[in-house]
Amino acid sequence: MVTRSLEEEYVKLLRDYLNGPGEDQLYFAQQMGKWLLAHDVSPEELTDMHGRALEKLGEVPEFVRASFSILTEVMIEYGNEHRSVHSWRSRHQQMEAELTVAQAMQKRLLPNQLPDYPGLEIGVVSIAAKQISGDYYDFICQDRERFCLTVADITGNGISAAMCMSMLKYAIDSLREMPLGPDEMLRHLNRIVGRNIDPSMFVTMLYGSYDTHQHCFRYAVAGHEPGFLYRAAEGVFYDLAGQGSVLGLCPNSEYEVQEVRLEAGDILILLTDGVTECKKNRYYLQRDELVLQMQAELGVHAQKMANALYNRLLALSQFELLDDYTMIVLRRT
Amino acid sequence: MDLFLKTTSQDTEHRVVLGGDIDAHTGPEVKETLMSLANEPGTRRLLIDLEAVEYMDSTGIGIFIAVMKACKQKECAFEVQKLSPRVERLFRITGLYEHIAIRKGESE
Amino acid sequence: MWQSCGPETIKIEREADIVTARQVGRNMSRQLGFGTIMQSRIATSISELARNIYLYAGSGTITIAPIVRNGVLGLQLTAIDAGPGIPDIRKAMEDGYSTSGALGAGLPGVRRMMDEFEIHSSPGEGTRVVVVKWNGPIEEGV
Repeated sequence: MVTRSLEEEYVKLLRDYLNGPGEDQLYFAQQMGKWLLAHDVSPEELTDMHGRALEKLGEVPEFVRASFSILTEVMIEYGNEHRSVHSWRSRHQQMEAELTVAQAMQKRLLPNQLPDYPGLEIGVVSIAAKQISGDYYDFICQDRERFCLTVADITGNGISAAMCMSMLKYAIDSLREMPLGPDEMLRHLNRIVGRNIDPSMFVTMLYGSYDTHQHCFRYAVAGHEPGFLYRAAEGVFYDLAGQGSVLGLCPNSEYEVQEVRLEAGDILILLTDGVTECKKNRYYLQRDELVLQMQAELGVHAQKMANALYNRLLALSQFELLDDYTMIVLRRT
Repeated sequence: MDLFLKTTSQDTEHRVVLGGDIDAHTGPEVKETLMSLANEPGTRRLLIDLEAVEYMDSTGIGIFIAVMKACKQKECAFEVQKLSPRVERLFRITGLYEHIAIRKGESE
Repeated sequence: MWQSCGPETIKIEREADIVTARQVGRNMSRQLGFGTIMQSRIATSISELARNIYLYAGSGTITIAPIVRNGVLGLQLTAIDAGPGIPDIRKAMEDGYSTSGALGAGLPGVRRMMDEFEIHSSPGEGTRVVVVKWNGPIEEGV
């Protein structure tokens, strides 16, 4: 609202300026603009105040007075838009607050510590591109020698992905009570996902069990981006074998069990497509380029390797993360 | 990049040429178009030409899965042609390859 | 002076009718003692209501009337049409919808400029919007 003191101040400002224009008055006017915005003075009120101020300063020609009618009409539209942006802002803040809550809830779905077994290093980097991630990973200890590992990518991000993720986690949590192989686990999850999510949503997943005594990893893949296996003896990175339909595509999909055995120094790298879809200028990083990056970070602890690769890829994509990024590094010492 | 989308229909057969980017931004329009064609009562065949697609992410795959399911339900043929190597790889990894008829290279 | 104003109903069928309605509203609000800005806001509200009628219903009416409640004087606008109706009023009243240019656009602005806002609309049955802008207590001799 335009108050009397504001109006008096405005008249004074205008008078001073007309008597001897100076940059200081213009600066004051600019600061006043901020104040008016902060106090919700609408544009039409301001133009009206300007008109009244002119009347106080002298004889106003009729055409100038009349022109204010046009200006006021136009300003009313600006004023409406201004007020609507205002209400948008408060709605936006409310949504941000809700997202923050969802974000905190989602954090609880991810493991808060990594398993610790002799002879195996584990490193993880998982970063959400926006507030809510569509990437999911989990480690579940089975016994003193084995743990289960899940890496999944849920299409889309945001709330729908987070909701799907909690469904996945609880499904896996309850299914793991049964002695299921990785292939059977995916078969069950596929049915659950297919029945419970939107037809255009799907989940890609790698699910496996790692035996730290034999250093044998048995896993199955549902449409998930292939990981890498580094053979230290050869100094070569191989694509991790295995494919199968994404979860939610078709109710009777079957999955195959794959098995790899790690020798000393061998490394398993599991990832989501945020890693391989890393954009280099306008081009996507090819898998062989990714291998070059990985080769440059060998010989360090698994966590250090994961961190270093994230930094390298982030720099390559000019520090812009387009998709959720998850990389898990398992290194047999 | 923008989306390019053109539909030509002949009785119960529809052909849609897609181009540009298929991602979270353009996805809703692509989905709306393909789903309404798939759900049209008489539709017998839906052919998608992907030759001009420059970028497609998982949003695109999701759309094809939804359309594939809709077509399967009403026994409408769903075919895709002219996939770029990158899109073809996506189709293969996700397993879509086994559920959608992929027409090789030739044009209509 | 306000006692001399009676309600006036303007048929909205052509774009020129919108201008007529604005004029009637502006004159009446001046007679009721509204300030220049309020006069313009009332005219703008009439524009929005009348445009919805003109663009989407084809025809309808705008009634502009002085109103007195509890000793307070105000102006009431009533827009009635038998057009397609607004399927989701809640959505139409959300800010941002106004830029869509669809039926109901501009209503959030009207609600903000007026003191009271009431809408009844259902698909196929048309729309009725009643809004009031209060001015102040009735003063003798005004």
